[in-house]
Formats: sequence, structure tokens, C-alpha cells
Amino acid sequence: MLETRLSKILASIFLFALIMGPGPGLYLVNPSTDNPSSTTFLGMPVLFAWASFWFFVQAGVVLVAYGRLWTNGNDLDE
Amino acid sequence: MSHFHILAITDIAGGHLPHFMLGGYMLLLVWLCYLGYRKGKATEEDYYLAGRGQGAIVTSLTIMATFFSSAALLGIPGVVYRDGVSFFLFALNLPVAGAAVYLLGDRIRKLGKARGYVTPADLVGDYYGGTEVRLLAAATSALYVLPYVIMQIKAGGYLAQRLFPETPPLEFFGSSCTMYETGVWALSFLTMVYVLVGGMRSVAWTDVIQGILLIFGMLVAGLATIAYFGGLGGYFEAVSALPAKALSAPGYSDKWNAGMLFTICAFASLGSIIQPGQWMRFYAAKDSNTLRKSALVFSVVLPVCFIFGIMLVALGGQVLFPPEITAEGIIPHPSVGTKSSEVDQIVIVMIQRVVPEMLGITFGAVVVTMILIAVLAASMSTADSNLHALSAVLTRDVYDRFIRPQADERERTWVGRIVIVLATMAAVALVEWSQKAGAFNPLELISQLMLLAIAFSSQLLPIAIDVLFLNKGTRQGAIAGLTAGIGLVLLLTIKPEWSFGITKIVHVSAIGIAANAIVFGLVSRVTKKVPQKRIDEFRRIIKAKG
Repeated sequence: MLETRLSKILASIFLFALIMGPGPGLYLVNPSTDNPSSTTFLGMPVLFAWASFWFFVQAGVVLVAYGRLWTNGNDLDE
Repeated sequence: MSHFHILAITDIAGGHLPHFMLGGYMLLLVWLCYLGYRKGKATEEDYYLAGRGQGAIVTSLTIMATFFSSAALLGIPGVVYRDGVSFFLFALNLPVAGAAVYLLGDRIRKLGKARGYVTPADLVGDYYGGTEVRLLAAATSALYVLPYVIMQIKAGGYLAQRLFPETPPLEFFGSSCTMYETGVWALSFLTMVYVLVGGMRSVAWTDVIQGILLIFGMLVAGLATIAYFGGLGGYFEAVSALPAKALSAPGYSDKWNAGMLFTICAFASLGSIIQPGQWMRFYAAKDSNTLRKSALVFSVVLPVCFIFGIMLVALGGQVLFPPEITAEGIIPHPSVGTKSSEVDQIVIVMIQRVVPEMLGITFGAVVVTMILIAVLAASMSTADSNLHALSAVLTRDVYDRFIRPQADERERTWVGRIVIVLATMAAVALVEWSQKAGAFNPLELISQLMLLAIAFSSQLLPIAIDVLFLNKGTRQGAIAGLTAGIGLVLLLTIKPEWSFGITKIVHVSAIGIAANAIVFGLVSRVTKKVPQKRIDEFRRIIKAKG
């Protein structure tokens, strides 16, 4: 588990996405109820954009792990 | 206005469109059940694990369909409708659970295949030795399963009541059955029959149909909602004009703060993916590649269905049917419901508004009915998997170990079938009783049971991680950890005020897991280690290819 550089990088990115997306990172973008202009980003609700972005990061990590690490039945060992 | 206005005004099939489509769906399930029975062999391994030969498509869809419950199309959209966009972040638990399908699931599969395991307790009981860990793991599994079956059966009654609102009570052998009762009985009976007859193979094959229906329902409903608002631009313009409270965390109910969302995504997700029904699906997978593909499909497809499908429908519902904030709580728009608990009808109301706009009345009615059947499919696919898992747990971990250890394979399989009948009857009786007991609020109680169930299931996580990765724990540590975790979850569920407010910022499953892991680690430091020979054997199996 986590024996290669790539596996460590992917695990770190995945954990970071979890902390930033639904975790404390969400307060970086959470709109203030006093400032209605902060509720959107590129015309979308900012939290929708935030959830979508971190989902793409998580999905990207899984895709790379699928293609590069999970190739012979030994999870992150290779 | 009837919630099923579109179904009432369409002339397709003489106004009996829902009856025909529902009948067709049920016939399809019966046919798959028959096929599963024809292909099956009279062995325990075949009945519970489909001979450990399930391929990638069946495994992906059965894992997804088991994960989806009635909450996917009713409860979760209901929370988005009530609280707003903050609950979209909940969907980020799905890639975590998806990655675990491979990272945990493949190791579980390898050990199961090499050592003939059928239930979660088989694996942890064999590793740590003795009967206590096995019994605690079995109890954890059983405590998870029964509330989940009850929840899904209730959803069947709920849906029947709304699919056929004008239908008078039916007479059966002199007694009158409301549509709610008819729905409860129909869902329970049909699910019980195909689990009984075809075992895991029928359950998994019906899950494939149900999984496809669910994905279709969630995505089509999302597309129709966007089309209703005139495209993505129009949709986002409309939802961006919602009150700031609906567009920010922690939402109207003040519940979805970062601590709660993070602990659900990090811990409850893993608890859900190692529930007994899923654990047995890992055993049933053919090879590593099957779970590898299933993990990818789960991690990508499921969040897309939520974030870009059903959650958009519910948020659009806030625009078309704004809920009312009162001193008593959040009350849905009168077109959606009259009580705060009826927010979960938002998808049912929305699809009837938006789908005909995109597809016209005739084709729209067909699609609306299909989405409603998808709600039913969500309930059935979770109920069948959990009934099947409960049968395995009680037969393998209790009957075979403590009641009749000399029972042969054939006897155990039949006992498993009797368990399925008894569990179904018990679940139906509880649902019927709760419906008739005036002062008793079954919905609230079951919701509490559901949260408790996930918290229970999560308690297997520390020992699963130890068996699969760390190999540092001991039997006494596992017993103490499980007892502490389960005990704390029970305590905080009954007396949440004893958490000093922690349960408002951290999900109870995470508190239970933390207590469990700490006690497990401390006790393991001072007690006798698992024999090195057993550890080496487990490591050798896990390291093997394929």
C-alpha cells in the first residue's frame, strides 16, 4: 500500500480533494448571506461549481489509479 | 392537483399506463428469477455468491443498485429541496466509496475465494479466532440489515399510494387493503420470491435492470429540468436567484456544516460500502479486474447521476415550488406536501411538471411512469440484497455455528430460505403495525434506525482495515473496539445531548469509529497477538495476482 511515488501522490490529491470539497475548504468559497454577489461563479451557484470541481479531481485520481496502478490486482503496491 | 396529473390525463392504454408498465416490470423480474433458478446449483456458495463468478457488468450494476436505496430518488433530493445547494457536496462521498470497491473489495474477494467465506463475520472471525468477534460482526450485520429492509418496504407502500391515488381499497378474502398496504405486500412478496428462488444470481440480475432504470431515471429527470428552464443558462440564472441561505452552507436546516459533510464523505461512505450485502458482492466477483472496473464505474457514473441529474431536479424544485420557512421548520410548497417530512416528494412532483414540457404528454407519461418505477426499483434492489445478506448471516454465523453445527450444505440453504420468509414477514408486520399505531411516528423512527444502521455498519471498518492492511490488532482488541464503537453509537443515538454538541458537527459513525479504533489499538498493544502463521497466510493470499 502506498509504496510507489505515484500512489502517494494520488492518495494525497484524493485526500486533499476530500478536505477541500466537503471539508473545511468549503469555507473558502461559502457565500456570505450578507453579500448576495458572492453566491455565483461564472453564472453558477458557487457551491455547485465547487462540488463539481472537486468531483472531477476525485474522478481524475480514480481514473489514473485505474489505468496506472490497479492493473494486476495489487491495488497501490505497484 | 393530483401529484399524478399527467398519468390521469393521458389516454394511453385506456388510462391504465402505470398498471401495464408496472406489470411489465414485475413480469421481467419474475422471468429473471426463473432464469437465475434454472442456472443455479444446489450449493450454498452458488445460492449466496452465484458461484463466485460474476462479471464486471453485473457486479458494477448490482453494487450500484444495492447502494441506491429509496433515498436516492426520494430522501436525498428531498434534502436538496429543503436545504439547497450545500447538500450537493454530499455526493463527494461516492468516489470514496467507489475507490473502496477496489481497494477493500479486492482483498476481501481474494480472502473469500481462498478460504471459502460467505459472510463478513466469516472473514473477521477466522482471522481473529474465537466466537466473540464472529458474533459481534454478525450482530453488526444483522442490526444494519433489518432497518434497511423495513425502510424499502415502506417506500413500496408510499409509492403505490401515489401511483394509484384514485384506486379504492382492494378486497382480499373479506378484508380491505389500502393501496399503501397493497404496495407493501406486493413489494415484499415479489422481492421475497425472487430472493428465495434464485438467490444471489437472481438478485444480481434483477439489480442490473434496476440499476439501469435508476441511472436512466436520474439523468433523464435532470435533463428534463434543464430543458424546462430553457437550457443550462436559464437553469443557472433561475437557481442563482434563490435566497442566499439556499446557496450556502449549512443550508436552511443549519445541518450541513463542513464537519458533518466531511465525516459523512470520509467515514459513512466506507461504512455503507462494507455493509454485509456489498461485502458479499465482493466475494461474488469473478476476479480483480471485475472489481477494478466496478470501482471506476461507481466512482464516475454515480456522482454524475447525483450532481448533474437528480440533485439539479431538486434544486430546480426550490425555484418552481419554493418551500416556506416557518417557526415549526421548513414546510414544502402546497403542491409538494403539507408536512415537513413530505419534502421527499419533490422529484415526483417535479418530473410531472418538467418531463411533459420536454417530451410531450404522451411520451412524457411513459417516461414519468418509468421514473416512478425507478423509485420502486431503488427500494427493491436494496431490500433484496439486504434480505439475502441477512439470510446468509443468520444461517452461517448463528445456525451453523451455535444451533446445528452438523447441518449439511443443503439444510443450511433451506434454513436460509426460511430466514428470508420470516424476516420479510417480520418487516411487513412492523410496517403494518407502525402504520396503524396512531401516536407512533414510524417514518421518524425508521429514519433514526437508518442512520443508526449506517453507524453500526461503519464499526466493521477498523477491524476490516486491520485484517486487510495492518495486521497489528488482536482478538481482544477487536472485541473491545467493536463493543466500544457499537455501544457509543447506541448511547449517542438514544442520548445525543451526551455528546456535548459533537454530533451536530461530526457524524455519529465517525465518533463510533474513532472510539472503536482507539480502544482497538490500546487493547491490542497489551494482549496476545494473532499467530504469525495466520498473518502470513492472509498476506500471501492478498499478495497473489488475479
